[in-house]
Amino acid sequence: MLGKQIMLGILGLSSGVVIAGGLFALIVELGVIADFADRTHTADKILLYEDCAALGGVAGNLLSVFKPEMGYLGFLLPVFGLLSGIFVGCWAMALAEVLNVFPIFIRRLKIVRYSVVFILSMALGRGLGAFIYLLKRW
Amino acid sequence: MSAEQDTVYIKGDKDVEVTKREVTLGDIVALECSNKTVIPKLKVLKILKIPDEGKHRYVISILKIIACIHEQYPGLDIQNMGETDIIVTYEDQKTSGAMIHVVKAVFVALLTFAGSAFAIMAFNNDASVSDLFAQVYEFVMGSKSDGFTIMEASYSVGITVGILVFFNHFGKKRFTVDPTPLEVQMRVYENEIQTTLVENASRKGAEMDVGKADYAGNPRP
Repeated sequence: MLGKQIMLGILGLSSGVVIAGGLFALIVELGVIADFADRTHTADKILLYEDCAALGGVAGNLLSVFKPEMGYLGFLLPVFGLLSGIFVGCWAMALAEVLNVFPIFIRRLKIVRYSVVFILSMALGRGLGAFIYLLKRW
Repeated sequence: MSAEQDTVYIKGDKDVEVTKREVTLGDIVALECSNKTVIPKLKVLKILKIPDEGKHRYVISILKIIACIHEQYPGLDIQNMGETDIIVTYEDQKTSGAMIHVVKAVFVALLTFAGSAFAIMAFNNDASVSDLFAQVYEFVMGSKSDGFTIMEASYSVGITVGILVFFNHFGKKRFTVDPTPLEVQMRVYENEIQTTLVENASRKGAEMDVGKADYAGNPRP
């Protein structure tokens, strides 16, 4: 019995390590956080940002695995929603950037000017899509 | 002067920030020459004059810099040991207040915290981690999981260990002497920006190079 418990423990521990490595490599290598630091000219604080990403990962995991009772923190929900929305928005665009979506479309469709319009419509489209998806509870 | 046979070695960084409107050679590149009398003279050689206050950015070819030196000291032999294109950025000295800087840093810190928390929760949800743990638990132990077993506990520890190992530090404490992944990523990002600036400038013909009019006083937007 104890042996099985130990085995499950090792299994859980190693899956945690591997998943943390994979997920955070995806976050960092897509360059979202570096992008934030550069946009806000706060590159001197990147160690802090790494700490926050680490803490966020740990806290988020604890929340989703143990689902603690914390109704008294309900007032934080809009803040968390907004922040995670911004993050995911940047993340999605960073993914598109890494996969060279923009250069390919701009070359194929010969878009020279008005690329601003495309970026804007992409942002609005994504926002609207997410809204309808959640509104309809799909 | 006796500088006729001297060799001057110059080495410039890819990206230089200047604060004076009169940009001299010494601001842009590091100089070395066996004839020490030459260096101070070269250092004050004017390369560029920023027309007015505000943000300006120039891309200067090293050939242009060598041409500037040759104009004054035609006999000097110049060896470039650094970058071939140098980005010179002039920015107004009124940097935004320390307060704004802190506010921005706090905002980005919250953003990365919430974003990472969201990402791991979305992953756990997407991959049905809780269901998977219950299935594995039942498979090994033969009894139903009550939702909080050794697997959930050790997984959480594993996530923490994995993140710390990946980022290679917590707070000021580094686990090895390597730079952290984000530090590397930051440099990669900067390099890409610099390469883009140089290539944009040369494609638009805005690079200050030899054989072109010197439009330092008439910059392209």
